[in-house]
Amino acid sequence: MIGIAAAMMGLIGLVFALFLVTANKRFAVETDPRIAQLEEAFPGVNCGGCGYASCAAYAEAVAQKGEKIDLCVVGGDDTTREVAHVMGVKVSDEQKDKLVAVVFCQGDSEASAFPGVYKGIPDCAAAVYSQDVAKRCKYGCVGLGSCVAACPFDAIHLSPTGIPYVDAEKCTACGNCVIACPRDLIEIHPLKHDAFVYCKSLDPGPIARKVCKKACIACNICVKAAAADENPDAVYMEKNLARVNTQNYSAKPEYGEKCPTAAYNSNCNSIRKDEVMARLEAQRNAKQAVEVGAGES
Amino acid sequence: MNLVVLILSAAIVNNFVLTYFVGVCPFIGVSKKIDSALSMGIAVTFVMTITAIVTWIINRFILIGLGLPFLEYVSYIVVIASLVQFVEMFIKKTSPALYRTLGIFLPLITTNCAILFVALLHTMRQYEFVESVVFGIGAGIGFTLAIVIMAGIREQLETADIPKPFQGAAITLIVAGILALAFMGFSGLLAA
Repeated sequence: MIGIAAAMMGLIGLVFALFLVTANKRFAVETDPRIAQLEEAFPGVNCGGCGYASCAAYAEAVAQKGEKIDLCVVGGDDTTREVAHVMGVKVSDEQKDKLVAVVFCQGDSEASAFPGVYKGIPDCAAAVYSQDVAKRCKYGCVGLGSCVAACPFDAIHLSPTGIPYVDAEKCTACGNCVIACPRDLIEIHPLKHDAFVYCKSLDPGPIARKVCKKACIACNICVKAAAADENPDAVYMEKNLARVNTQNYSAKPEYGEKCPTAAYNSNCNSIRKDEVMARLEAQRNAKQAVEVGAGES
Repeated sequence: MNLVVLILSAAIVNNFVLTYFVGVCPFIGVSKKIDSALSMGIAVTFVMTITAIVTWIINRFILIGLGLPFLEYVSYIVVIASLVQFVEMFIKKTSPALYRTLGIFLPLITTNCAILFVALLHTMRQYEFVESVVFGIGAGIGFTLAIVIMAGIREQLETADIPKPFQGAAITLIVAGILALAFMGFSGLLAA
């Protein structure tokens, strides 16, 4: 009895197994094996920094629609190299630069305090829409930390005086804080460039000076310094605000030495930048050494 | 005529979900949108019908033929598991969108007791082949009916002003209970 029962169950199982094997071949779904490899290469945090809903969606776009390979800002240099390896393409030099978020305001509670107190919803956008902000400058940081809340990597924090600063070590340039800031004070720039006018005030000089001690007052000193250095493209003046040319990133920190309000500055609003720079430099040298060594042998 | 009575009985009077309370897991889980509820109902109906056919053959020619009725549960589960695998492959190939919508509930049809219930019931009631098939179709239609009605109500509930403690699963279960009460009105209508 047991023998027959076992044989029958075995037979039934076998028949269905064969049926499923045939069905599996008949209904096999062809997937690109590179998609799985790309998903492995991506960090898998689904931050959306690349513009796709998830790492899987970006992997699919890279493999099938020929999307750019350097959009993953979280993985940065290393991920781009891996993706290039999977896709069999070369990484160009400009794709190797690490990017970080840069906060373009120095108007903390000491430089640009407002006598009133904001008591609304603790959200920058809400404060801006209600025209009831905690700072005097109408272009400056509200200091309520919407960018801090938006950061999925714990890379941006508020200083005690109410200005966000970026941790270059943790920042992945995903751009969530850029979107969160209602006054567009945050931008993504290459880590190695560190000379900027940390101000976005479009107020004419006298007013800007009145509302904030660290505002750009459109005095043209940095523009003249750039011109004197035979580099007139580096800094330009537009709508009462000196701006560093971000097409070529040729501005040097020295142009800001005579800035009367220290709006033109370097390495402002960020920490651990030098450490990260040094580490990346060391890594790059090590890799080059390996590549040279491999070439010789 | 007998077959019409059988199909009505399985679908409405003795509705599986609302009278026997089998297959409640997908009934709650996949009844958020009418579209996916209908797809789920069709998938379950398909599996039920094929299960009824295959289990009837196995029961009549192997289990009864060889005197092994105690293998009923085991062999039926093997049949159901294989069929669900097949349906999963089929849907994955033909409609990836539907595959994603049904998600975990598609492989979970395997453990949907409504399917095993069809197989066990037609064995218990000793239905003939055609009756078993019709019974399977009827039960599937009943399941589809119940889950689509539920999805329709839940789509309305999305915009309804529900007191906070009742939101989500709570109101769903209350609605399921009221639906079951409504279906009780059919009881005794047909003797089958």
